[in-house]
Amino acid sequence: MNPETLDLARLQFALTAGGHFLFVALTLGLATVVACLQTAATASGKPLYARMVRFWGQLYVINYAVGIVTGLVMEFQFGLSWSGLTHHAGDVFGSSLALETVIAFFVESTFLGLWIFGWHRFNKWVHLALIWGVTLTAYASAYWILVANGFLNNPVGHREENGRLVLDNTVEVFTNPSALLAFGHVMGGALLTAGFFMAGVSAYHLFKRSAEWEFFGKSLRIGVFLSLPALFVTATFGGLQFVGMQPMKEAVFSAKAAEIAKLQADMVERFGPGDYVPSEALTRTAGILMLLAFALMMYLCIAGAVLAAFRKVVFRFRLWHVVLMAAVPLPYLAMISGWVFREAGRQPWVVYGLLKTEDAVSQVSPGSMRISLIVFTSLFALLAALNFWLIVRHARRGPVETDLGLDEREASNPADALPAARY
Amino acid sequence: MDTLAIALLGFFAAAYFVLAGSDIGTGMLAPYLGRSDRERRLVIASFAPFFLGNEVWLVATAGLLIGCFPDLEGELLSGQFPVVVALLAGWIVRDMGLWMRGRVGGGPGQGGDVRSGPGPDGSGGGRGWRLVCDTAVTGGSWVLALSWGWLLAGLFSGSPDTPASGPVAVLTALAVAGLFAVHGLGFAVLRLTGDPYARARVLVGRAARPWHSFALTAALMAALPLLAGLGLPLTESAGTSVDVLVPALLVVTPLLVVVQAWMWRTFRGRVTRPSYL
Repeated sequence: MNPETLDLARLQFALTAGGHFLFVALTLGLATVVACLQTAATASGKPLYARMVRFWGQLYVINYAVGIVTGLVMEFQFGLSWSGLTHHAGDVFGSSLALETVIAFFVESTFLGLWIFGWHRFNKWVHLALIWGVTLTAYASAYWILVANGFLNNPVGHREENGRLVLDNTVEVFTNPSALLAFGHVMGGALLTAGFFMAGVSAYHLFKRSAEWEFFGKSLRIGVFLSLPALFVTATFGGLQFVGMQPMKEAVFSAKAAEIAKLQADMVERFGPGDYVPSEALTRTAGILMLLAFALMMYLCIAGAVLAAFRKVVFRFRLWHVVLMAAVPLPYLAMISGWVFREAGRQPWVVYGLLKTEDAVSQVSPGSMRISLIVFTSLFALLAALNFWLIVRHARRGPVETDLGLDEREASNPADALPAARY
Repeated sequence: MDTLAIALLGFFAAAYFVLAGSDIGTGMLAPYLGRSDRERRLVIASFAPFFLGNEVWLVATAGLLIGCFPDLEGELLSGQFPVVVALLAGWIVRDMGLWMRGRVGGGPGQGGDVRSGPGPDGSGGGRGWRLVCDTAVTGGSWVLALSWGWLLAGLFSGSPDTPASGPVAVLTALAVAGLFAVHGLGFAVLRLTGDPYARARVLVGRAARPWHSFALTAALMAALPLLAGLGLPLTESAGTSVDVLVPALLVVTPLLVVVQAWMWRTFRGRVTRPSYL
């Protein structure tokens, strides 16, 4: 193991996984909202809902595209940079990744293509079923990924054969509490991200006194009323995770020096000499940031739920509009710091108690790893910037010029390029 | 079980080469087939509804590899490190070009030509933006196809855990990329109309029926990963997870094929107008 390769590989994984995670958060939440909106549109036949599907759907698709391509790097990165992990734990860890790609992502992508390009080709109920297919397989995807991640944090359902981990109890692996609780937590977080995003974008238009006041008034309400329950779901699953947390992570988070020293001594006795304390600054700062963001969001959500009940306030309270716009990054901050807390806090282990991160890294020269780090992080930075720019651009433009769901059959007539408020 | 796992891996890999190979090849030839902004948008529309459903075959192949042959997956990918990095980079650049091409300037569904007046924020027609995206699509497609050639050269050479080098590797990479391009050309003949169609038809030749070229290259494309797989120690490296995964995969795979067939059937008509991308 070359220490420089290890550091570069960790940095690459942290940046690419962190980046991917943030795109996915909005994708997962917005998919749910779009599916619900399309259900309302299909059932009620109201043009307003149909236009909402197209506007929020457009933002969803822009964000989704970046999520996919960043996900590609994630899938290949295990074999590229962490072949020690696939060698040692691939039997257990790889099976959930395999199921994710085949059962979830495959269907999700195929259905998304059918949904985007088949807008006026299907019966409206078939088209509705497609977006629900996309949404449900997106959740399935998140579940399988968290099964893989849950195994790394809390390895269960395995036995050791010839120095390698093999599957022993599939059910135990698939119902790992570390995976299920994280799934609930991330699901809530994704909905929260989407709620804040919708509220923020809508607030921008109401602040600008947009002519689309009805459209954005309704969207703002959906965002605000979604955020409150989503926050409580997130917090509940988050709180539950503190119960079975790795003792060292908890000790570091609570800054209990005596406890840390005791755990370190225990680990040395069990696993041999080494440093078993994760980066205290990183773990603690991340944990505190997550909780601070939560507290701030809680006040905003509770106040928001009250304010949104009053019609005049929704349209006229401009200070609140500014606050909602400024609050859009908060769920992202909470998501990323929560993730750093979870992942940095379990170091030096990649599979907790079984395989150290330093033993998992591939036999690759630091030079190659540095080139790959530069290639992927510059591509990701470019993608993040483009994604941000395109989303802001389309969000500001409002529902007037949405390409998604445009009826291609009539597109040769410019007059029809205006939103076709129907299905 | 191990044999079934290998058969599934071969099936998914071959499907990727045949299906995604066609849209990668068409992307490689986009500047030749489409001379104007609008024509290139039509060329992209010829595979737009499929490319997402095509590339997931590779995602699934990689998933099968890590699930059923985890040890081999690690050795192969870390051994072929620079090749895989180039492949992924080409793939990302190409996909971003595709996804983002239609998102700036121009009117929706107009190819940007009909309604090129400034957008609400005064952005103009976005012609430069689309040129950048077209370059990303074509360049990314070439990098992707050449990387596949480079990777296959390594697999054919019998030492799958080191990147191939030397003149044979260069020739293999070029030959594979050429096959991708011809495959894409055959696909374009089946999908396009108008001038882009005529340009593709000229290269394919008028002697044979339009689908002959595509059928031939499809068979060759399917053969590539299967031949490459022969040189891999697949039987020896199957993991214990195979017993869990193979039954699940056998149940799911026919459904995946049905969904894909539905997608191909839905968008089977030749392209006459731009699509969302």
